[in-house]
Amino acid sequence: MKRNTQIFLITMIGCLILGANKISAQTTEGTIRYLRTQNWAKMMSGLDYISKNQRDRMMYMWGNRSEWKTYTLLHFNATESKYEDSEEEAEPGNEGWSNRKELFFMKRDFKANTLYDGMYLLGKNYLIHDTIVPPVWKILNDMKEVAGHICMNASSVDTLRKQSIMVWFALDMPIPTGPDRFIGLPGMVLEVDINNGAAIMTADKIDLKPLTSELNVPEKIKGKKINTAEYTLIVEKQMKERKAAEEPWFWGMRY
Amino acid sequence: MRIKFILPFILVFLFGFSLQAQNPARTTIKGVLQDTLHAPIPFATVMLLNASDSALINFLSSNDKGEFAFSNVKNSKYLLKAQHMSYLPIQIILSPSPTAINNLQVVTMKPISQMLMEVVIRAAKAPLRMRGDTVEYDATTFKVPTGSTVEDLLRRLPGINVDADGNISTQGKDVKRLYVDGKTFFGDDPKSITKNLGAEAISKVQVYTEKSEQSKLTGVDDGSKEKAMNLELKDEFKKGSFGKVTLAAGTEERWAGRGNYNRFNDKTQFSVIGYGNNINQTGVNWEDYGEFKGNNSFNDYDNGDFGFNRNGGNYYYFDGNDSPVNNYDGKGLTENYGGGTNYNFDNKKTKLNASYFYNQTQLDFLQTSFRQTFVDENNTFTKDDTVQNSDFRSSHSIGTRFEQEFDSSNKLIAKANLRFSSNDNHVINSQLFSDYDLQPYNSLNLNNTNNLSSYKITSAAIYRHLFKKKGRSFAVSGGYNANLSDGTENYNSLNDFFEASTPSEQIRQLINNDKNIEEIKSSALYTEPLSKKWYLEFFYNYSRLANKSNRQAYPFESEVNIDSLSNYYEQVTSYNRLGSVLRYSFNGINASLGFAGQQLKLDGQYATDIGQPWDSVGVSKTYPNFTPDFNFNYEFKNNMRLEVGYTNSITAPDFNDLVPLKNTSNPAYQIVGNSKLIPENSHNVSAGLFYWNPSSFANIGFNTDFGVTNNPIIYNQVTVFDSTSGMLTISTPENMEQSKNINSWLWSNIPIIKTKLTIDVNGGTGWDYSPTRINDILDNSKSTSFRLGGNINLTPNAKLVFSAGFWGNFSKVKYTINAEHNQDYFNYQLRSSIKWQFVTRMFFESNFNYSVYKNDQYGFDQAVPLWNASVRRIIGKNNKFEMRLAAFDILNKNVNVNQYATKNYVQASNTNTLARYFMLSISYNMKGFESKIQKNRFM
Repeated sequence: MKRNTQIFLITMIGCLILGANKISAQTTEGTIRYLRTQNWAKMMSGLDYISKNQRDRMMYMWGNRSEWKTYTLLHFNATESKYEDSEEEAEPGNEGWSNRKELFFMKRDFKANTLYDGMYLLGKNYLIHDTIVPPVWKILNDMKEVAGHICMNASSVDTLRKQSIMVWFALDMPIPTGPDRFIGLPGMVLEVDINNGAAIMTADKIDLKPLTSELNVPEKIKGKKINTAEYTLIVEKQMKERKAAEEPWFWGMRY
Repeated sequence: MRIKFILPFILVFLFGFSLQAQNPARTTIKGVLQDTLHAPIPFATVMLLNASDSALINFLSSNDKGEFAFSNVKNSKYLLKAQHMSYLPIQIILSPSPTAINNLQVVTMKPISQMLMEVVIRAAKAPLRMRGDTVEYDATTFKVPTGSTVEDLLRRLPGINVDADGNISTQGKDVKRLYVDGKTFFGDDPKSITKNLGAEAISKVQVYTEKSEQSKLTGVDDGSKEKAMNLELKDEFKKGSFGKVTLAAGTEERWAGRGNYNRFNDKTQFSVIGYGNNINQTGVNWEDYGEFKGNNSFNDYDNGDFGFNRNGGNYYYFDGNDSPVNNYDGKGLTENYGGGTNYNFDNKKTKLNASYFYNQTQLDFLQTSFRQTFVDENNTFTKDDTVQNSDFRSSHSIGTRFEQEFDSSNKLIAKANLRFSSNDNHVINSQLFSDYDLQPYNSLNLNNTNNLSSYKITSAAIYRHLFKKKGRSFAVSGGYNANLSDGTENYNSLNDFFEASTPSEQIRQLINNDKNIEEIKSSALYTEPLSKKWYLEFFYNYSRLANKSNRQAYPFESEVNIDSLSNYYEQVTSYNRLGSVLRYSFNGINASLGFAGQQLKLDGQYATDIGQPWDSVGVSKTYPNFTPDFNFNYEFKNNMRLEVGYTNSITAPDFNDLVPLKNTSNPAYQIVGNSKLIPENSHNVSAGLFYWNPSSFANIGFNTDFGVTNNPIIYNQVTVFDSTSGMLTISTPENMEQSKNINSWLWSNIPIIKTKLTIDVNGGTGWDYSPTRINDILDNSKSTSFRLGGNINLTPNAKLVFSAGFWGNFSKVKYTINAEHNQDYFNYQLRSSIKWQFVTRMFFESNFNYSVYKNDQYGFDQAVPLWNASVRRIIGKNNKFEMRLAAFDILNKNVNVNQYATKNYVQASNTNTLARYFMLSISYNMKGFESKIQKNRFM
């Protein structure tokens, strides 16, 4: 045990030192591009209310070819961040077809501890205002490099969506934010793994630069104003109904 | 009484005692971070974790004096972590504080020396991880020569010692137990595995401490612990398999059997399937076929015929052609056998598929039909037909597909299919012709056999290149298809006249028909992005289809062919098309406008036999055309989508319409050619509107299609009475002025009570106008049809699913030349079904369909009730067996009915099919049967 702790400590310092040269030139604002890969068959195989035979068949027929890649962006400075979809096509060769851009942004002000989300959910636009309640994180002792940063490992359980969450956050970017709802750690979250690979977000480009209007949210957006509790109710209701019908709950909702 | 009296005292005593001993409920944890020289350490990350599960409670950064404070936190056991880039991280276990402020005073962090730093950098990059007390090594990063054993791998792992005998130890302790993927293997000696298992199979090596075997057995933790090691296998060494077998026997000599077995690992899938039955399952079902083909069931980008559609049709493609899927059409009785094997390899860069399938079907049916043909305003004749058909088909198919992604911008797809098939057909057909008064005039009896064997090859290759510039791409495809067939037809017809001077006429002929069709084709596509929203595409298509056919007719038992019925021909169709599409795509709007110039060239030469001089009458036609194309797709807010499209297509006349080939298979029907035919030019406009509600899952769609065909090629019919052959219909293809049609569809699926009650409604109308010349009189017949269907699905609970519905089709045909024959005919069906899990693992399933076919004018009114029911029970450990007792067509009324009205005739037919039988089946499923009713309808 003592030896293990030693190994851990040594590893831990390693990460700090590796990050050190970055920290010295650190700008506390910029944009991180995440490659978001969703595997439809793996998403389905996490739905325990659908028969195992059916899920196995989907994995067998689709497991290797149901990946769908998109880019998402996280703009941040020392006190705020905004997460949104990128217009850039992540799968080359797919250019020339455009889906309607849905309302989606997640704004976080971690100094005032407030959130402001705009999202298209089940056919409607919602504007969510509330205080930030970050997930309950468990800090694990794993280390890994993501986009040139040595990251620490933390895990969480999304009790609403019944997902296991594994994230990697960079201590040399001491900004308590990250993509989507994965925030509240002592460093920037650079990688997220939902349900063992069903959805993975990995930072693939970190652009530290002064931001101009990236953090702004359009002033006039139509949408129903709700709070986090009301949002949770909407998601819970949909999940319950889809479960009763044995159909995926994430049709019409972000995973 | 006494207790009641004493209790408050005890409570007060206990409460008072605990109050005295209790720590404050909340506390403030503070301290100062300093280095060994007592200098403050600012901007270090300090994390407060729950000691029991490492949950993050709070974190902060130390201030410029090195101070940190977590104020007013719950007073409990914590783990405090502090990190800074220039110091060794520290972890402190904090016990609940007896005071309101838990001042840790000075927390000292040691600076990192230059030497240590180098060690640390190496360690940070070392491929090992800590999870609790488990050390995990990433085996793939430790390079060992190929063929090395696990033992060789372990020797390279830091912290693991392997002695000369192969004994493993770590952290000074012997590794006593070895697991592979968490499972123990035979024997207690770990060496038997480490010396034999190949290192390349291992992805991770985990070392941890576990309770001794003794304490595991007794459940008493004697404190003695052992080191254990787990070898995690790479995914591709993980294996799986599944399979099913069903055997069934029934009354009326009915039987069925089928089975499939699949084995797979991360990269490969292998499957075998087999079936045999006489219950009209002419192939496998879609579900079994999907499992058989595995991850090769659906392939995108497989269409190399580029054109107006984006990327030549960017859709998933199920190789449905020639697939061994059940395609029974409801007529007759069949006996079927088939089986095959499939192999898939997929490592993301390379995908390979190879499959073989054999299937055969023996089909026998007896069909009786009635047809009334309108000759002119006053005259009609009727035909009563009896067909006895015996048909045997078999085929061997070999399919391969190869896909290689060379890098992110270059990809090749190559496919080849080979099919050998044979068909033996025997038809005994008796036709009785009667005049309007239903007086029999003549009877024609045919007894024809037809044997055909053919080889078919289809192959294609598609290569795609993506340029560095986003959106710029190039694709080229090529294909070769061939079909060689060898057929023998044996015609035997006897024409009996009831009133004529020549009472009967007999034709007996043998016909040999060899065909050789070859096609080569190639296409190219180039896409240039003009901006983020605008794209310009160019495409080119070329194809050449050469068809050589030698057909020789011989009189019965004669070697000398009949010149008038024999022919040899060579026909070549060449096609060239050059087109361009301008595409706009932005935020849910996708529109395209395209134009193409094309040329169709038909060349045909005819002779009486191979080697004979060509006839003077040949075909040499060139049809140049210019075709536009338009498509618009708009996604509204709220999940509504609009699609509008226009296409223009040119269809060249068939060679056989230009120069017909005489055929005596049915002496009462002849086709005459027309060398003046020009291509049909059809314009089609379609529009659709679709809506989906993601919250309720309600969906509604509406689609309409309007088509105008200029110069449609229509078979004009002249029915004459010939004193030597009776009623003779001569059909001549001709370009008429214009035909039109409109078709509309509506479908919807609306949940009335979420998850319990759903209603489907669908319907449609069709209107068709096509001019026909019947006995040289122009008839502008119009037909209209209405379809309406509805279904209610009721799921009161997880154990009961009930559905009821109807479906109806009403058709109206109006003739201009003899309006009294206008037709109204009507088909409808009522249906209901139930699935009921009445006891755990026992199910009752039943469905009832009632079909009615009506045509009042002819007094045709037939109803077919069909009722099926079954009970099944899942048995055995892990639900691996299923027994099912099924009753098919309990009322014994099943028959296949068809009715139909067109330009100049109405027809109704009845065909025998499988009627009542009972069947008992037993199935085995390696993975176990599902012990509940499946509600969803996808996959």
